Amino acid sequence: MKLHARLLAFLFVILLVCPVWSAIGNAQEPIVIGIPTSLGFLEGKESLSAVEMAVDEINAAGGVRVGSSKRSFKVESIDLRDAAPGVPVPEALLGLEKIILEKKPAALVVGPFRSEALMAGMDIIAKYKVPLLGTIAMSPGSEKKIKEEPAKYKYVFRTCLNAVHLVKFLAGAMGLINKEFGFNKVYVMHQDVAWARATAELVKSLYFDKNGWTVLGLESYPTGTSDFSSALMKVRSLGAQVIMPIFDMPQSGTLVKQWNAMKVPAILSGFISPLAGSAAWETFDGKIGGATNTIFELGSGIGSGKVPPSKDFFDKYLKKYGKEIQAGHGPAPSYESVYILKEAIERAGSLDPDSIVAELEKTDRIGVLGRVKFDEGHQAVYGFNPQESCVSTVFQWTDSGQRVIVFPETIAEGKIQLPKGLKSLK
Amino acid sequence: MFVGTILYAIINSFILIMMAIGFNLTFGISGVANFAFGALYVLSAYGSWILLNLLKMPYLLSVTISILLTSLFGGLIYRLILLRVRGQALSEVIATFGIGLSILELFSYFGLVGFEYTLPVFIDHSFIIFGTYVDAQRLIIAAVGLVLVSSLWLFTHHTSIGLAFRGIAQDERTALTFGIASDRIATLSVSLGAGLAAVAATIIIPLGSIAPAEGYDVLIKALAVCIIGGLGSSGGVIVAGFVIGFAERFTDTYIGSHWTMIISLTAILLVLVIKPSGLFGKQKELEERI
Amino acid sequence: MKKRKERIDRGIKARSGDVFTLCSWREMLYLAAPRLLPIIVFLLLPPLLSVYWQKVLLSLAVFALLSISWDLLSQSGMISLGQALFFGMGAYLSGIADHYFGLSPLVAIPLASFLGGAICTLALLPVLRLRGIYFSMVTLVIPLMLVRIIEATRIFGGTEGLTGMTPFPSKWIELYLVITVLLCLLFGFRRMMASDYGLVLKGICDNDRSVTNAGINIYWFKAQALFMASTVGAFSGAFMTHVYLFAGMPVFALDYSILPIAAAVVGGPGSFAGATLGAAILVPLSELLRGIGGLRIVFYGIFLVVFIVALPEGIFHYARRKYHQFERWVEVEK
Repeated sequence: MKLHARLLAFLFVILLVCPVWSAIGNAQEPIVIGIPTSLGFLEGKESLSAVEMAVDEINAAGGVRVGSSKRSFKVESIDLRDAAPGVPVPEALLGLEKIILEKKPAALVVGPFRSEALMAGMDIIAKYKVPLLGTIAMSPGSEKKIKEEPAKYKYVFRTCLNAVHLVKFLAGAMGLINKEFGFNKVYVMHQDVAWARATAELVKSLYFDKNGWTVLGLESYPTGTSDFSSALMKVRSLGAQVIMPIFDMPQSGTLVKQWNAMKVPAILSGFISPLAGSAAWETFDGKIGGATNTIFELGSGIGSGKVPPSKDFFDKYLKKYGKEIQAGHGPAPSYESVYILKEAIERAGSLDPDSIVAELEKTDRIGVLGRVKFDEGHQAVYGFNPQESCVSTVFQWTDSGQRVIVFPETIAEGKIQLPKGLKSLK
Repeated sequence: MFVGTILYAIINSFILIMMAIGFNLTFGISGVANFAFGALYVLSAYGSWILLNLLKMPYLLSVTISILLTSLFGGLIYRLILLRVRGQALSEVIATFGIGLSILELFSYFGLVGFEYTLPVFIDHSFIIFGTYVDAQRLIIAAVGLVLVSSLWLFTHHTSIGLAFRGIAQDERTALTFGIASDRIATLSVSLGAGLAAVAATIIIPLGSIAPAEGYDVLIKALAVCIIGGLGSSGGVIVAGFVIGFAERFTDTYIGSHWTMIISLTAILLVLVIKPSGLFGKQKELEERI
Repeated sequence: MKKRKERIDRGIKARSGDVFTLCSWREMLYLAAPRLLPIIVFLLLPPLLSVYWQKVLLSLAVFALLSISWDLLSQSGMISLGQALFFGMGAYLSGIADHYFGLSPLVAIPLASFLGGAICTLALLPVLRLRGIYFSMVTLVIPLMLVRIIEATRIFGGTEGLTGMTPFPSKWIELYLVITVLLCLLFGFRRMMASDYGLVLKGICDNDRSVTNAGINIYWFKAQALFMASTVGAFSGAFMTHVYLFAGMPVFALDYSILPIAAAVVGGPGSFAGATLGAAILVPLSELLRGIGGLRIVFYGIFLVVFIVALPEGIFHYARRKYHQFERWVEVEK
C-alpha cells in the first residue's frame, strides 16, 4: 500500500513537472550543429570529440544568446565515409544531404575529408544554404569556386590550414634545415590526391626552385601504396639529404619504417599523419629521433606554451577524454569553429544563414589557433605570428622521444638538431 | 640500384605468393572462391594485436592462438554457410564477400585504424646485401615463403589428408567412391586457406600496419596472382608471384609508382583473353570459352 | 503416418488462364494487380515523399536500372562483376559532353548512353568467347584498371574529377525521367525475354553449344545483349552525373558492381521484376541503417549472407509462388 502511494505521488510530480519542462523546451529548442565527416578515421573522430567538448563548455556557460533568448547547442553527427577507399562521392554526398534535411542544422562543422567530396558537396551546401566551417579538406580549389561565384558558394568557410598556407610552413622548415645544416638536395614524395599534389608542386615552384635547392625527384604515390623501397633506394643513390613526404594515409607509416630499416642517410621532414601524435614514439619503437613533422593547426596534436589557449585546449581534451589528441589536423580548428560560430550567431542575433555568413566573414578572434580572420576565399589566414593570424607548427622528435616545436620562431621552444648519423655541411 | 631492385622484387614476389597461396589452395581443392580471404587476413592480424596488447599475452602464444582461431573460423564459415550454397559459384562469391565486408567494416566501425595497430617484427636488424640495406623481417618473409611452399608440396604429396585433397581436386565424384568425405575435406581446405592467410598476416603485417582497407588489397592481389598463375595451380602461383612481383618493383623504379597497379591488371587481362586458365592451369577448352 | 507438402494452383489462377477472365472484374484485377502495383507506386510516390526520400527513390531507380542491366546479361549467360564499368563509362562520357562541349543534359545523356554502350560492347567483344567465371573476372578487372589509368594520366580532371555540370531544369523532370525509363525497360525487357528473341538469349545461357548447333550465331546475339545491357548501365551513370553534378574516379567504385548483383540476388534473378524489387528493398534499407554509421555496412553484409542461405530463389519468385499457388499437407500414399 505504501509503495502504491509513493508511486502515485511520483506520477503526480511527473505530471506536474512535464508541462513545465516542455514549456522550457519549446522556448529553448537547441541549435543543431551538424558534423558530417568520416567518423571511422582518427581525424574525424577526434574532431567530433573536440566539437562536443566545445559545445559542452558553451552549454555549461549558459548557451548562445540569439536575439533576446538563450539557447543551447546540440551536436548531430553522420558518417560520410568519404575518406574510405572505394566509396563513391555521390554516396558520401547523400549523407551530407540527409543530415541537412533531417536534422535541420543551423551550421555544419568539420565536413568531408577528401577535397574531391568537398568540391562536389559545395553545390549541395549552396542549394540548402547551410554555413559550413570545414576543418579537414585542404585543396585551395574550393576557394577558387567561392571567389568565382561568391553569391552562390559564400556558405563555405575553412578554419583549418589549406594547401597554399601549408606550403609556407613546409618551405619554412626547409629554410631552417638549409640555414642550420647547409642541406640543399631534396627528394619529394607525395600522395596522389588533390591537396598533396598541389602542396608538393607549390613548394617546388615557390621555394625550392627560387632558393638554390636541387629537387632530385618529385614522385606521387597512389593512395594505399605500401612499399617505398624503390624511392628510398633512389634517395640513397642520388645522394639526397632531405626527404619531404606529404601523406595523409595510414599506410604512409610504412615509409617511416622502411626509411629506418634501409638506414637512409637523409632527414625526414614534411607531413606524415602517423608521425604527428605523441603515440608515434612508441609505434615506431623510438626510431624516429631527428625526424621533423608538421602539425597543421596549433592545438591539434600539440600545444605551445607561447600560445596559452592552445596548451589549455590540449590539456582539457586530455582531461575530458583521458588521452592526448593524436591527429595533427582537425581537432583544434573544429573546437575553434564552434566558438567562431557562437560569436557569429550572437552578433547576427538570428539563425538566418545569410546573416550568419555575413557575421562569419567579419570574424576576428584570438583563440587556440592564434588569431582567426577569413580572407575573401573564406579561408582562415595562416602566418607565422599567433598575434596576427592562425599558426601551424613544425616540430622535431628528439632522441629522447620529446616533441620540440622548432618553427615558426614566434612559438618555437627549441632549435632544430642534427639527427644522429648525418653530417652538417656547415 | 638495379641489384637493389632485384632484391626487393624477390621479396615482393614472396609477399605476393604468401598472400595468394591460401586463396589458391581453397579454390584448387573445393572450388570455393573465398572472397572473405582478405578479411580473414585482417581478422587474424587484429586477433594477434588484441591478444598481445590488450590481454598482454606473450607473442608466440598470441600469434598461435590467433592463427588457430582464424582457421577455426574459416572452417565454421564453410560448415555453417557455404555448405548450403555449395556448387553455385555466384552464391558462394556473394556469401563470402558479404562475410568479408561485415568483418572489415566492423573493424573500421570500432575505429581500429591508425599506425599504432601493428605487430612487432621478429628480429630488429638490417643487413647489407650487395650494397643494399634489407631488414631482417623481409628476409624472414622470403625464408618462410620458401618453407611454406615446400612443406605444402610435401603435405599434398605425402600425407593421406594431402592426397585426399588432391583427389577431391581432381574429380570429386570419383574421390567419393574411394571413401573420401568431400564435405570434410572441403571444410579442411577452407580452414587451411584461412590459416595460411593468418600466417601471411603474422609475418607481413610487421612491415606496415593493420588497416581494414588492407583486406580488399590482399584480396585483389591474391586474385591477380591466382588468375595469372591459373586458378588452383600451385606451381602457377609461384611463377605468377614472381612475374607480378618483379613487374611491380621494376615499374615502380623505372616508370612510376602509378603504373605498378596498371601493369598487373593489364597482365590479368591479357592472360584472361589469351589463355583464360592461366599460365599453368589445366586447359579446359570448352569450359572456359566457346 | 508420413506427410508431404503439396503445391496446387489457386482456383483464380486456373480460371484467369484463358479468355473468360474478361468476364469477371475480380479475375481481371488478379491478373493486372501485380503489373499495376509497381507503376502506381512509382508514379504516385514522389509527391508524397520528403526531399531526402525523393533522393533515395532516385538512387533506388538508378540501382534498379543497373540491376536490370545485370539481370539481362546474366540471362544471356554472362555474369558481370563490373557494372561499374558501364556506369562509369556513361558518367564520364556525359561529364565530358557537358564539361568540355557544353551540351545540355537532354542531349548529353542519350549520347553518353548509346556511345557508352557501344564503347563497352566493343571493349568486351574480344572476350565474348569467354565463359563463366573467366568473363566475370574480365569485367571485374576493367573498371579497376580504368580508375588507375585516369589517376596516372590525369585525364578528365584526374583524381578531382569533373565538376560544374548543368543540373536538370527541375527535380520533377529528374525524378520522373528516371522512373519512366525504369518502368519502360522493366516491362519492355520482360516482354522481350518472353519472345523468340529472348528464347535464343536464354538458350545461350542454358546451353550455348546446342544453340550453335541450331545454326544460330551466338556471338552476334551475345553482342546485342551486351549492347543493350551496357547502354542501360551507361544511362544510369550519365543520369547520376547530372544529378550530383560530378563525374570522377569514384564512379568506377566497387559499390556500383556489388549492389546491383546483391539487389538481383535478393529480389530473385531472371525476371527483371526481382531485380527492381531487390533494389527497392536494399537501397532504402541501406539509408535507414545510415543512422548507425559504419555498422550499416556490417548489417548489409550479414543481410546478404542470410538471404543467400535462407531464401536463395529470391523474394520475387517466392512471392509469385505464394500469389499463384497454395500449399497443403497431404498423407504420403503407401
